[in-house]
Amino acid sequence: MILGIPDLQIVIGYGLAIGLAIACIVYGLLNWNREGDEDGS
Amino acid sequence: MAVDTLTLTVLALIYIAVTFYLGYLGYKKTKSTEDYLVAGRSSHPVIIALSYGATFISTSAIVGFGGAAANLGMGLIWLTVLNIGIGILLAFVVFGKKTREIGQRLSAITFPDLMGKIYQSPPLQYISGIIIIIGMPLYTAAILIGGARFIEPTFNMEYTTALFLFAAIVAIYVFFGGLIAVMYTDALQGAIMLIGMSFLLVLTYVYLGGITAANTALTTMADMVPQALSDQGMTGWTTMPELGSPIWFTLITTLVLGVGIGVLAQPQLIVRFMTAKDGKSLNRAVLVGGPFILMMTGVAFTVGALSNVWFFQQDGTIAITAAGGNVDAIIPLFITQAMPDIFVVIFLLTLLSAAMSTLSGLFHAMGTALICDIWGRGRECALSLRANQCGLVVMILVSLVIAFVLPGSIIARATAMFMGLCAAAFLPAFAVGIYAKTPCTRAALWSIVSGTVIWFFWTAFVHVAEAKPLGICQMLTGQVTLLGAPWTVIDPLIIALPVSAIVMAVMQIQYNRMRSKPAVSAS
Repeated sequence: MILGIPDLQIVIGYGLAIGLAIACIVYGLLNWNREGDEDGS
Repeated sequence: MAVDTLTLTVLALIYIAVTFYLGYLGYKKTKSTEDYLVAGRSSHPVIIALSYGATFISTSAIVGFGGAAANLGMGLIWLTVLNIGIGILLAFVVFGKKTREIGQRLSAITFPDLMGKIYQSPPLQYISGIIIIIGMPLYTAAILIGGARFIEPTFNMEYTTALFLFAAIVAIYVFFGGLIAVMYTDALQGAIMLIGMSFLLVLTYVYLGGITAANTALTTMADMVPQALSDQGMTGWTTMPELGSPIWFTLITTLVLGVGIGVLAQPQLIVRFMTAKDGKSLNRAVLVGGPFILMMTGVAFTVGALSNVWFFQQDGTIAITAAGGNVDAIIPLFITQAMPDIFVVIFLLTLLSAAMSTLSGLFHAMGTALICDIWGRGRECALSLRANQCGLVVMILVSLVIAFVLPGSIIARATAMFMGLCAAAFLPAFAVGIYAKTPCTRAALWSIVSGTVIWFFWTAFVHVAEAKPLGICQMLTGQVTLLGAPWTVIDPLIIALPVSAIVMAVMQIQYNRMRSKPAVSAS
């Protein structure tokens, strides 16, 4: 039981949702000044 | 209701006045048709992110799907995973940048225009436009109904008046200010939604004694799951339904996959990418978009499920029983009964904002599809502001008529249907179109047609949630559905999208092979 939730599938769901939101922040910061894809298209 | 109507009316009037002011700014900044259609391709990243998010999240996501979480439990959090992973990261990084770049290079002004120009095919533009003006009014009508149903009791207004007033307020600023006004107002509405949902999450956990205490209380209520739901596979509000049960299929295929994937191919969202000045703007928008969506659907699904604990602590019942069996009534009931008066006002403005931001995007997308992509395709007049404003008015009137004839409890269903149709019809052709070096027009046409036809067939003849109320299958065959379980609970998208993707892939591969062969034999 993690934070009162017994099902690991639900816990993983919450973990992924929060993790992806953090990933969005990190992506935005790391690519703040990057113009676009590097393929030049 | 706890809050007096006068206070609420004054605050609502201030909100509408600020909205109109932003609409006026949009009007002043609209100097050309490109401004009206794609916001001059120079939108600020925060405005892009909030506009995309606020358009994406309607009242349906908060009230409809929040209510669904109160009924089916926290498993809906997987929809939030897809909303952020697919709806933001994949959409902006993989699709958004290419869409912006190609849209700018080809001077595309609408989604069907983009498809037509990528594939150099007028029929593709027509077909995409037709799917939009047929499918989108249903979704628009559902949003209108949701808004009017909420305005009606809140402001003691007659339903018909509420419906017209709601449509008119949004129509005015979209009509005059085009996409710039839409995006400015979306940003305001997105900010209000963010404040409202943050308060909702914090106060809910505070009232229920903290995160672990609240979740544990919900876990111990598993034996209170209604018999009808436990017979269909529901095991509790903090556990997933039984694998392969009818509720598992509904949760995963319709709610999580249907809506989660469907967002990728929605014309009114894709056009947001074309408003960005450069790739940097989209990178920066991701930073805002991910947390925004987490705070919208993540909070709605969590609070929805936890409302069961609050209702149980108050009168020993669960949320759906307290709401008289109406899923759409759970979240508003929880807010008005559990939250302090000032929050009720904030939340009412949050709901109004969620509905208006989605509605404005849909009005704009439908109006421009009718004028630029169908009526006036290839004509100079299609690019006039006046023509697009006329198209807008026509499509708003069509949506209003549909809103009067649609049945009740349609909001969440219509949302899932529209997103499913868009994904089945457009996603494979759109993905190949922006990434293939030489996309095949015939493949795109067949993919769109097959995806659309299979989606309609499955909706009318197999998926019981739609086939039963539609009655087409019953009328033609004497049976409610053509197939039995578990097919009747598998969402049309799960069948139609793979078909349209396979058609697209097979024909594109064949086309690539044929292109390489003549080059050899001709020499």
